[in-house]
Amino acid sequence: MSGPPRLSDDLDALLGRVARGDSAAFATLYDLTKTRVYGLVMRVLRDPGYSEETTQEVYLEVWRTASGYDSAKGSALAWLLTMAHRRAVDRVRAEQAGSRRESRYGAATAGPATASAHDPVADSAIAGDERRRVTECLDALTEAQRQCIELAYYQGLTYSEVSQRLAANLSTIKSRIRDALRGLRNCLDVP
Amino acid sequence: MSEPTDFELLELATPYAMHAVSDAERAEIDRRVAAAPSPVAAAFNDEVRAVRETMAIVSAATAAEPSAQLRGAILAPIEPVEPIAIRQMSWRRAVFASAAAAVVVGAAAFGVGVLMRPPAKSTVAEQVLAAPDVRTVSRPLANGTATVMFSRDRNAGVLVMSNLSPPSPGTVYQMWMIGANGPTSAGTMNAAAVTPSMTETLTNLGASTALAFTVEPGTGSPQPTTPILAELPLS
Repeated sequence: MSGPPRLSDDLDALLGRVARGDSAAFATLYDLTKTRVYGLVMRVLRDPGYSEETTQEVYLEVWRTASGYDSAKGSALAWLLTMAHRRAVDRVRAEQAGSRRESRYGAATAGPATASAHDPVADSAIAGDERRRVTECLDALTEAQRQCIELAYYQGLTYSEVSQRLAANLSTIKSRIRDALRGLRNCLDVP
Repeated sequence: MSEPTDFELLELATPYAMHAVSDAERAEIDRRVAAAPSPVAAAFNDEVRAVRETMAIVSAATAAEPSAQLRGAILAPIEPVEPIAIRQMSWRRAVFASAAAAVVVGAAAFGVGVLMRPPAKSTVAEQVLAAPDVRTVSRPLANGTATVMFSRDRNAGVLVMSNLSPPSPGTVYQMWMIGANGPTSAGTMNAAAVTPSMTETLTNLGASTALAFTVEPGTGSPQPTTPILAELPLS
């Protein structure tokens, strides 16, 4: 029970075809994964314009580096979302460092992003079940653990920045992050 | 070897997998993992893998539907080479031959290239998309979207325009490369040239800082005469 196995297998096969330059496979891969990729990027960046740009960069990277994907090292979905998260975090840090400051970012960060912005029509029943399961597992964490995931994963802070933000010492934060992930992993039955 | 160090390193696997380390820390961790005894490196990599698989499942909770235009913008540049080449002809460049120096994709030059070379192994578009420093900028334009993917290393870019409304009769869209000396025309497009999805290659970005679009009367102007509709920063 580690996620939707059928989707995973499909994605593995599709990535193999994408690696050989198959643009139809790339289109299918995009259709199957766009809500996950865009949704995660949007959760980090909170600006639709920036999120679409970053999503484009992610899929370009997929197109370019699909041949480097090794299914022995993890699932295709994890490979893809790791790339998406990395780019989103890089972008949010660059924006916050002010190196590419644009006013629309400030305006767009006001409201907290919520998970409710999805399109229910696009969600299959399986995706809906998985979403519910994830929500339950997140709810099972302590408030402090959820806060660590929020800051370290969704807001793009480093663990040292998290410790400063929460005025907690580094080793406390490190173990809190680790415990949060361990809790999620066990709850979601990830091997 | 030194147990506490290995333990410390393993403790960092979770924040590392979540990208919750700085670039400097990431490089240092990579170095330490490469130098660590293989069981330590294996344990580190197992933890990274598990965290990433876990967060991949967690992404079900943040799923969100992107706009329909994004699909076209993402798929257009990777379409087979030929349609891109054909659509390249849609921007008329001959009118401003002298000003076109900044953007060297002349229709004539392109034609010669096609006649004299077998199909290029790697098109400008492919080179841009494969560049490690490729960047993407999108802006709304004429009820549609203009997106430029560009690489400073390659000194080139790929422009994708989707769902543009055609310009009013008697006017054209004109594209400008903005540099230190102001705008330089990079071509015009009349209503007949507008199709739902258009791709354009830009070579020699040079010192241009942005790509801009205006509506111009007749067949275009030597300098913009109307407010800029959209500006895509090339930075």
